[in-house]
Amino acid sequence: MTTTSDAIQQAILLGNVASISSSVNDLLSKGVSGQKILDEQLLPGMAIVGDRFKKNEMFLPQVLMSAQAMQTAVDIIKPHLIADSDSIPSHSVVIGTVKGDMHDIGKNLVRIMLVGAGFNVIDLGVNVPPQRFLDAATEHGASIVCLSALLSSTMNNMKEVVQAFRDHSDLKETKILVGGAPVSRDFSESIGADGYAPTAPAAVEQIQLFLSNSI
Amino acid sequence: MTGRERVNLALRRKETTRVPIGEIGGGYTDVIIKAVLGDTYDTGSDAYFKNHLNIRQLLGADIMGARVAGPPVEIVGVHEDWGTETFRDFWGAIHTQPPDSTVQLVEPIANTPEALKAWQPPDVSSFDKSQVKRWKDSTDLFIMATLNAGFDLGYELLGFEQFMMWTVQARDTMRGYYEKLIETNLNLAIMSADAGADAILIADDLAFNTGTFVDPTYLRSDYFPLLKQMISEIKKRGLPVFFHSDGDLRTVIPDLIDCGIDVLQSCDPNANMDIPTLKGEYGKALAFMGNIDVDLLANGTAVEVEHTTRNLIRDARGGGGFILGTSNVVASYCQPENLRAMYTTANKELK
Repeated sequence: MTTTSDAIQQAILLGNVASISSSVNDLLSKGVSGQKILDEQLLPGMAIVGDRFKKNEMFLPQVLMSAQAMQTAVDIIKPHLIADSDSIPSHSVVIGTVKGDMHDIGKNLVRIMLVGAGFNVIDLGVNVPPQRFLDAATEHGASIVCLSALLSSTMNNMKEVVQAFRDHSDLKETKILVGGAPVSRDFSESIGADGYAPTAPAAVEQIQLFLSNSI
Repeated sequence: MTGRERVNLALRRKETTRVPIGEIGGGYTDVIIKAVLGDTYDTGSDAYFKNHLNIRQLLGADIMGARVAGPPVEIVGVHEDWGTETFRDFWGAIHTQPPDSTVQLVEPIANTPEALKAWQPPDVSSFDKSQVKRWKDSTDLFIMATLNAGFDLGYELLGFEQFMMWTVQARDTMRGYYEKLIETNLNLAIMSADAGADAILIADDLAFNTGTFVDPTYLRSDYFPLLKQMISEIKKRGLPVFFHSDGDLRTVIPDLIDCGIDVLQSCDPNANMDIPTLKGEYGKALAFMGNIDVDLLANGTAVEVEHTTRNLIRDARGGGGFILGTSNVVASYCQPENLRAMYTTANKELK
């Protein structure tokens, strides 16, 4: 017999927005907490999506649809999470494509994967100057910042952002992850970033590693 | 030997004294052309033609990309964030070009599958093919007419994420959309053939560096059959077909061969598309163009570029079927001395 819980994971995998809405509302009406739905259904569901994407068992359209279903569910449970004083606050991650670069496909994919993994993602969009990364990290209390660039010319602007964080008295410990087609591990180390992710699932893994190491 | 002859021989799997060299499309941005031509850079009314011809003669390049041209874009406003003009292209989408950036989509041609179903592509029969004809008649370069098909252009006009989700959520509508785009681009290809193009280049990005955007089985069922029809019609005019896509295409190379392409261009080493390896596997059915990393031209040294170029030529030239070029185009951020190093090395590396 299919349970409501099974139905939620299934809806995530199929990207079924209508089904996930009714299943989540059903569980909430039965008194299941929003945090429990998030931790036991939604996040494991998106973890499967991330894993399948990494193995080329799921492709971009399906991942986007899963993320849309996830976002729908998160929007429904959000008021319940806020009302539940025992909820564990999710970590905030600031993400953006650096100044001079308008490419956002890779950055958006990382955002989608991070939302799916339960992070509170602040997406600054494209062509983002260093100061906006600093301002957003301060405003949202983010301890992690992700920088994206597609061009060899603009990836050098990542260095400016990293330096701005290292020079800031309150933000110097911020973990900075870089990625994008021309970026490499060597480059990330050369500019003083904390990590490099060659793919969107790798970005999630690297951020989870940052957090586990900081506990 | 002319550039045209050299490329044609390579396509027939003949090894030439030096390998053909060139880029797709315009090939070199204006910033690069200015840097390479220096004082000889032309600013007159015929500057585009003169500068593109001069840089090719100076570098010893064999190829020019030209297009059948549509009407000028229609300026429709100013972008509220970037302050740049917004303009409608002949497909109906609205774009802008922020400072120091590529063109960005502002308003797609449709926001719902229903609107997309009702959308009609432009009539291209009155488009201007004179540039293709001029390049063919007044130079001995190999003239590659550039156009699109249904996939890359499809998401350029709809927005990437919307396009991708509709491949699942509005599958029939998307198939109809590909048909419209392909039919229009086929008309452009036929006009290019009539104007004397030596080949058609279909620019159609299908992949990331880690693989195709969508499931290859979807491409096989919903897209490649239409692409195959398009290529078959082009080849009835006797023209070879080059296919450009960034990314790792290895899972679909046999499908692209089945579609009838003659040359696969881009072959980005960062996407595991190594031409000597690919030639070993598919060289009888397919020729290859590209393989010099644009990032190497941007961030490497001239010595590194020379070394990489020489090794690639030595590994890939055997039996023809190889055209040297970058894995995209020579972008503004490339170092002019690295570009010179690449072309000088290729011109010296004789059989």
